[in-house]
Amino acid sequence: MQTHKGKKKLILIISILFILLLSIFIISFNIGTFAIGPIDVIKTLFGQGDSKQELVLFTMRLPRIIIALLVASALAVSGTVLQGITKNDLADPGILGISSGAALAVVIYIYFMNGKAYSDVSLITIFTMPIIALLGAGFAAFLIYTLAWKKGINPTRLILMGIGINSAFSAILILFQFRFSTQDFNKIMIWTSGSIWGTNWSYVIATLPFVFIFTVLIIYKARYLDVLSLGDELSVGLGVNIEKERRTLLIYTVALAGAATAVAGTIAFLGLISPHIARKLVGPKHKLLLPTSALVSSIILLLSDTIAKNVLAPIEMPVGIVVSIIGVPYFIYLIMKE
Amino acid sequence: MNSIKTENLSISYGDSDIVKDLNLNIPKGKITTIIGSNGCGKSTILKTIARILKPKNGVIYINGNDIQSLSSKSIAKEMAVLPQSPEAPNGLTVGELVAYGRFPHQSGFGKLMAKDKEKITWALKIINMEEFKDRPIESLSGGQRQRVWIAMALAQETEILLLDEPTTYLDLAHQLEILQLLDDLNKSQRQTIVMVIHDLNNAARFADYMVGIKDGNIVCSGTPREIMTKDNLRKIFNIDAIVVDEPIDHKPVCITYNLI
Amino acid sequence: MEKLILTQKKKKMNRLIMSTFIIVIGLIILFLGISLSVSLGAKHIDLNTVFNSMLSPSDDINSKIIRDIRLPRVIAAALVGAFLAVSGAIMQGLTRNPIADPSIMGITQGATFTIAIAFAMKANIGSSDLMIFAFIGASLSGIIVFLLSSRSIKGVSPIKLVLAGTALGTLLISLATAIAMYSNLSQELSFWIAGGLVTAKWEGVKLLASVGAFGVIAAIILSPKITILSLGEEISIGLGQKTNIIRFIGIVIVILLSGGSVAVAGNISFLGLIVPQIVRSLVGPDYRFIIPCSLVLGANLLVFSDISARMINQPYETPIGALTALLGVPFFIYIVRKEVKSL
Repeated sequence: MQTHKGKKKLILIISILFILLLSIFIISFNIGTFAIGPIDVIKTLFGQGDSKQELVLFTMRLPRIIIALLVASALAVSGTVLQGITKNDLADPGILGISSGAALAVVIYIYFMNGKAYSDVSLITIFTMPIIALLGAGFAAFLIYTLAWKKGINPTRLILMGIGINSAFSAILILFQFRFSTQDFNKIMIWTSGSIWGTNWSYVIATLPFVFIFTVLIIYKARYLDVLSLGDELSVGLGVNIEKERRTLLIYTVALAGAATAVAGTIAFLGLISPHIARKLVGPKHKLLLPTSALVSSIILLLSDTIAKNVLAPIEMPVGIVVSIIGVPYFIYLIMKE
Repeated sequence: MNSIKTENLSISYGDSDIVKDLNLNIPKGKITTIIGSNGCGKSTILKTIARILKPKNGVIYINGNDIQSLSSKSIAKEMAVLPQSPEAPNGLTVGELVAYGRFPHQSGFGKLMAKDKEKITWALKIINMEEFKDRPIESLSGGQRQRVWIAMALAQETEILLLDEPTTYLDLAHQLEILQLLDDLNKSQRQTIVMVIHDLNNAARFADYMVGIKDGNIVCSGTPREIMTKDNLRKIFNIDAIVVDEPIDHKPVCITYNLI
Repeated sequence: MEKLILTQKKKKMNRLIMSTFIIVIGLIILFLGISLSVSLGAKHIDLNTVFNSMLSPSDDINSKIIRDIRLPRVIAAALVGAFLAVSGAIMQGLTRNPIADPSIMGITQGATFTIAIAFAMKANIGSSDLMIFAFIGASLSGIIVFLLSSRSIKGVSPIKLVLAGTALGTLLISLATAIAMYSNLSQELSFWIAGGLVTAKWEGVKLLASVGAFGVIAAIILSPKITILSLGEEISIGLGQKTNIIRFIGIVIVILLSGGSVAVAGNISFLGLIVPQIVRSLVGPDYRFIIPCSLVLGANLLVFSDISARMINQPYETPIGALTALLGVPFFIYIVRKEVKSL
């Protein structure tokens, strides 16, 4: 039972989340093959560290963390919107096959472009990757939407089509993977399991605009999402063109999910549990829910990434698997709770 | 003067025709109740007027305008709809839910302006729940919740209000509460109210105008006194009704009936 | 009234005839399929030799190939196809969900996960140990499916069940893949995970056959109860059935059949979805007919898919799990479009 959170309480919650995020941010600098203590981190950020620290911080760790934040936010916002459109709070861009569409497109692209691995990925490929991923995600979404359309969109049908398309794309992905050499095969496996492999500033520059623009567009539509959650009949009564709005929002979602997948492979369940947790904290109104989702998601991803890098050191686990290990039991717990 | 007018309206569901060539006129500023047995099409007609369903044929006019020629948003400024079992997401307060009614009047990022807040307070006042503004919806009773939904429709600031079985799941006291609220609204705001109502006597008690539907057609329409006759009720419901005037307001009631 | 009873009896007779027809024709086609499968391959062995060596085993090189490599693999295909199909049929009946299937519900992925662990621990692990690992893994998801589908009178909505199963399946298969990646068996293990009959040996096949026979017999005995259960929870209880026990036994059978199949052939998806649907459209909703027919049709489907998997990209093998997935998705889409209102 949700009791009303007064404005003060909301501010408190958001502040706590911010502080948590900041702490993990600083901690993650400290762990790893070259550890930088918290005080040194702050010093270096302000230009006071030594050259070694600066190198590690600014050229390696910082861009990676920023990418993680972008990916987490993109997936969280995307998941929140999907849950709103499908009126099913168990929807997630990973489950719906949008991510696997993006992943497939990227793998095919790399296969044809370089003939081999991504060790050779050039600057051009980096910048075209989000676009390719987007095309893949868009294609997947288009398929799902068209197949689910039968005189209108039934949210349940949409989700099920998503699961079907996901299986299909995963199967094709597997078929492609076996064409690569063993080394590349491994790399691709790691990538499709979700790992933040883009670790320099060019990736940040390639992804930031996408994530920013579409997130803003979605926040602009926050009140439409609110109305849609009242159900079709009331939404129509309040003057919302439901088919058009759902389609537009789906396009934005796909763009975000595609951009995230381009840089980090398929990280499933993040877009599912973050909106859930956020909803419990701040309620269902999207203007607040969307940013909170992004915050929660960032915390989870950074935490998972830190765990993934260090629990099996020096081997780095794909972060997507860590997120799944956290996410799936929580997901099942949610279903059971009903 | 008619608020709502349908011309040769036909509605179908899949291959079956539910309504054919319906010509319905809803008078302005009055309470109209639509009655009929289950499956006669009354809810379908209401939903089609509300543009929730698409008609197969025919035209629907709202205040003289063809609804096809208007945007959904502009129609939402003239007509509010309360569907049968409305559901609100968890965690909303009364004030927040009523604020949804301002949607058709908002633009951009959707911040609530002074006028919006004014209307919300006004709506809460009419339903007599001003102190409940910050209470969560989950803590309300069925009757209170229904009042809040009506407040949302009020905040929409429309001349017409459509309600699909607004009292079906409420107990006796709450049913009367809602209907009296709607009656007061009509008298004070001159709103045109159209309701599909299951309970015959309540439909007659609060209506200025009644429409009886059977198999998707209007079998009779007129004042409650004209509709509540043995003959008409037989046509609409297939029952042998006994109608008398009740002692308090001398309105027609069906006190008992038999199968034919 | 009499006419009604007569038409009902006629309908039942028709269904019985249809089922028998399917089974008989199916078995004949299966035999042909197996023979074909044995003869095709990197070294083409003509059918005559195949028949001869099956009837009177000798020691020449062809016979050896047939006996030790081809035959176990093909028999495995037939068995796995049959067992996965029956598992799917049972699941659809138990959960009253037309798209239930051991791979959609995460059961095959669970088995794959534990088997990956087993292989990583000991590369040449014995068949019986392997199967035990498989059963444990299959039970992981099986238990969750059982709990979710028996919660209350209404049960969890079918879509939520599918989502839970899919989520679990995705997690388990990615864990399995991760294990494959980090152990030294990476590509072979990954290939097997994607579903491959290449590694099928007699030891495993015999084990599968015995476990499977047990499971199938149990399934056939349980079939009338499954039919009633598929009509609805309240109806079954009203008719005096102990629904939770039936569900429990059913899931155990599914765990045995699916787990065993995965132990021999890796993660093969959608078979349990496609076959029961086709069968149901031919013989109606009675599981006494659906289960035997699914056996035969499933065996056929996988044997012929295996032939395709070997022939498509010669001399390379295509992972058969991917193939059945691609086959299955159009079916899945078709069913969802047709039946979602009822979900």
